[in-house]
Amino acid sequence: MDWVRVVLSRCGALLRRQKLDEDLEEELRSHIEFAVEENVKRGMSAQEARRAALKEFGGMAQTKETYCVQRGLPLLETLARDIRFGVRQLRKSPGFAITAILTLALGVGSVTAVFSVVNGILLRPYAFLDSGKVVVWRESIREMEHVAPLLPDNYRHYLNLKTHASTIQDAAILQTAGFSVSGNGGPGDGGSGDIDHPQMTEGLAISPNFFSVLGVTPVLGRTFTSDEAVAGRDQEVILTWGAWQRLFRGSESALGSTLRVDGTAKTVVGILPRSFRFPVMSIMAGQASHGSTERYEIFKPLVPMPNELIEDDGDFNFLVIARLKPGVSVRQAQSELDGIEKATAAADHLAIHLGVSVEPFAEEITGDIRKPLWLLLAAVTGVLLMACVNLANLQIARGMAREHEIALRSALGAGSSRLLQGLLIENLLLGVIGGLGGAAFAIVAQKLLALTAASLPRLNEIHMSGPTLGLALGLSILTSMSFGIFPALRSLRVQPQRALQSGSTRVSGNKQAVRSRRVLVAVEVACSVTLLVVTALITRSFSHVLTQDRQFDAQHVSMAKADLSAPRYSSGVAMPDNPGADEGSLTRDAMIDRTLDRLRALPGVQSAAMTSVMPLTGDMSVDGLVRPDHPVPEGQIPLANRRFISPGYLEAMEIPLLAGRDFDLRDRKNPRVVILSDKAARAAFPGEEALGHTIHHWGRDYKVIGIAADARINDLKRNVAIYYLPHWDFPPANPVFVVRSSQSIESLGPEMRKSIWAIDPDISIPTVVALDAQVGESVATERFQAIILSSFGGAALFLAVLGIYGVLAYSVSLRKQEFGIRVALGSNRSQLARLVLMDAFYPMFGGIALGLMGAAAAARWVSSLLYETSSADPLAIGLSLAVLLLAALLASLLPVRSATSADPMRALRTE
Amino acid sequence: MGENKSDVLQGTLDLMVLKTLESMGLLHGYGIARRIEQVSADTVSLNQGTIYPALLRLEQRGWVKSEWGTSETGRRAKFYSLTRNGRKQIEQETENWERVAATMARFLATSK
Repeated sequence: MDWVRVVLSRCGALLRRQKLDEDLEEELRSHIEFAVEENVKRGMSAQEARRAALKEFGGMAQTKETYCVQRGLPLLETLARDIRFGVRQLRKSPGFAITAILTLALGVGSVTAVFSVVNGILLRPYAFLDSGKVVVWRESIREMEHVAPLLPDNYRHYLNLKTHASTIQDAAILQTAGFSVSGNGGPGDGGSGDIDHPQMTEGLAISPNFFSVLGVTPVLGRTFTSDEAVAGRDQEVILTWGAWQRLFRGSESALGSTLRVDGTAKTVVGILPRSFRFPVMSIMAGQASHGSTERYEIFKPLVPMPNELIEDDGDFNFLVIARLKPGVSVRQAQSELDGIEKATAAADHLAIHLGVSVEPFAEEITGDIRKPLWLLLAAVTGVLLMACVNLANLQIARGMAREHEIALRSALGAGSSRLLQGLLIENLLLGVIGGLGGAAFAIVAQKLLALTAASLPRLNEIHMSGPTLGLALGLSILTSMSFGIFPALRSLRVQPQRALQSGSTRVSGNKQAVRSRRVLVAVEVACSVTLLVVTALITRSFSHVLTQDRQFDAQHVSMAKADLSAPRYSSGVAMPDNPGADEGSLTRDAMIDRTLDRLRALPGVQSAAMTSVMPLTGDMSVDGLVRPDHPVPEGQIPLANRRFISPGYLEAMEIPLLAGRDFDLRDRKNPRVVILSDKAARAAFPGEEALGHTIHHWGRDYKVIGIAADARINDLKRNVAIYYLPHWDFPPANPVFVVRSSQSIESLGPEMRKSIWAIDPDISIPTVVALDAQVGESVATERFQAIILSSFGGAALFLAVLGIYGVLAYSVSLRKQEFGIRVALGSNRSQLARLVLMDAFYPMFGGIALGLMGAAAAARWVSSLLYETSSADPLAIGLSLAVLLLAALLASLLPVRSATSADPMRALRTE
Repeated sequence: MGENKSDVLQGTLDLMVLKTLESMGLLHGYGIARRIEQVSADTVSLNQGTIYPALLRLEQRGWVKSEWGTSETGRRAKFYSLTRNGRKQIEQETENWERVAATMARFLATSK
């Protein structure tokens, strides 16, 4: 291993360089002395002897040079020298260095931060076996397509498809479930005794093959067996790692011990791996499932109701996940399943037209958040592009300024490869420092993003990983090198003698550079116009969502949701289509009334009421509005959301009553009354007065006693039809108590909890929230988009201003003399100002034209994200252009000032 | 180390240095240079300075070692001597050289 020894000795030499230099010096000196000695002995004079000795020796300097090259690592040494030189060069022009580094850090950092979010949410696979093969299927009914293009799944259809499809390996069916959990206090209780009131948690009811479809095996215990999915034998639960840690502190004795779930004791049979997370699935298609992927903590066997096993055209209550067979595409599975479904429906002579749609699991989960996220990534890439352009611009300017220096160096004999190496190293330095800054910026920005984006799916799984940060560094180096190398090459092409001639020739020689800088500025302006217009559109749309008339008042309202799922609240037949005075209903009714009494007695409360569904959580309990006096064919029956409310709910929410009256206690004796929202009334009674008519519902007739305004209590962006029934008609299992009070949620929330627990301490209260916070939460995605895009737009504007300023300032500095002469010849200031502005004119307007085209394309792409805002909204476009022009004007102020202050005397003197 | 011409020369010089050290034992740079000139009977015109990079190269490969000492005239100088590896190297280099020389001789003979 000769070379190892050589390299080691060379490396060692690097460290002891000074000592070795002295050694060599002495050795060579003694060599000469020996020679002189010998020559003198031969009879030469001392002077002759020395001359002869030196002649025989050959070149002293060459010898030393060869020796040093042989001794150390010449490449490394010149590299070190170049790095030192590069650092010195950068420190000599701190303005350039700081601007370049900041630009890089900003661009690279924001791209990295957004990329880490996109990666975490959209790209990173789930912790399932071969997660790309997992799909979700949903059903569709052609007759229902105008209301809901895709429905959840029917149990019978699931069984049929699962049995007959050859494209899928296996399919599991599931249903989301809320659980109220408490330790049972018995000997098997693994330390969850500190729970005073039951805790509410979420989970899934699953078919036993659920985990095998996902390819997940419990770390402890087992999954469910098929005989556990039978009514009465479903006494087992499986916990996630998180729930196991929380409820049992990770003790292995949890297996086999019991947990009180919804008031009954269940045995824990399995613990899932730490990495396992199942994202929240929304029951309706196309909606991103917001919320932490750690929300589902408990899994229990799914036991279908008897009616769900036979129903063919209703009870679309489930979700299905399936694993494709190897080599099968989503499209193939889709066409096979759809074919089976249609054939079965035809064979069974069903009155409805069924279909199946298959989607990859990952896309189903991220639903409507995909596009906004890609938009953000596109926008931030635009910002990075602008940063690159600015960098190139800076480099060109710097190259022009350094032409003289480089020419001098090459005239003095510097090889062009050395010059190039030096320039590249300078760029490498910028890239590394910028990349480190970018990584630091990305870490902070990603935290901020996560904070702003409170409710994106999988948000809890996003973290800044080492590879991502490495990517940032790499991107930064790549950017600085590639945008630095062309200007560098340009400056190498310059003829030394031309550049060394007097300064005035530099101006004409650099026309081409000035032109390419103008093109770069035009690109920058175009990018920022596009970004600004898109930002303005999204912001306008968001402000529309916030400022439109919503017909309810979200301020000063606190809400608490109670869970009445314990056996005492659900005994008796509690089916919605068979309401009656069963025991559970009566208990719930009494609980609601007593709670409302207590809430009204709290200090500062103006009104207290109850509704069956938490406001702003979307559509739920949708049913047809059937008129006994006016039959309509199936499929054309208008649909509306059903809400059970207490008297005073409309008042507490400040939903105006347009006609008729609210429910009151008299209606308890005659409970068949209904209040319609304006839209529901117009849909069911087009062109007629709805008041006094009847609606057929659950086999009985309900008299319309009131018309309420169209309040957007389901979704700010949609005006949906709603019909309200008095709560005693069917007391809801999850009543939401609504209190309007001058008190804030911080002081009122605990009071509301106390009031409910005073009636029954075993009720779990999963949510206590202010209505305006709930409103804010419901538009979190839009707000996130608007805020992030605005900051990108701001960054783009800033970069554009920087670019315009750079170009103008530089060209003014080059033409200072010319301006001086112009002034001396009688030019006035405004003419000079016009000259400078003309310089900016072409790139500006070329860029704006280009940018508007870009904006038109981008706006078409984002139009589906816009709410009641045209993608050619004149205000948005006008405002963006105005802001840009103003910024450009600002950017040119300083250069114009410096041009108009040109001193004719100085100009003439230097000439 | 790609240039053929200097490579051959370099190799020659290396072998000369090694051989000199083998026959003379401990010797300083000037002594080695003079000795080479004498042995080659001045047919080799040597830039004496080139001896030093060669010595360094041999030292880096572990074929010679060096130490500071005093000459018989009382001058401080760096003395070089062969290492065990150096001796082995001489055998190898000699063999190589003889093979090259023989080959060349055969070529020159046939072209006559």
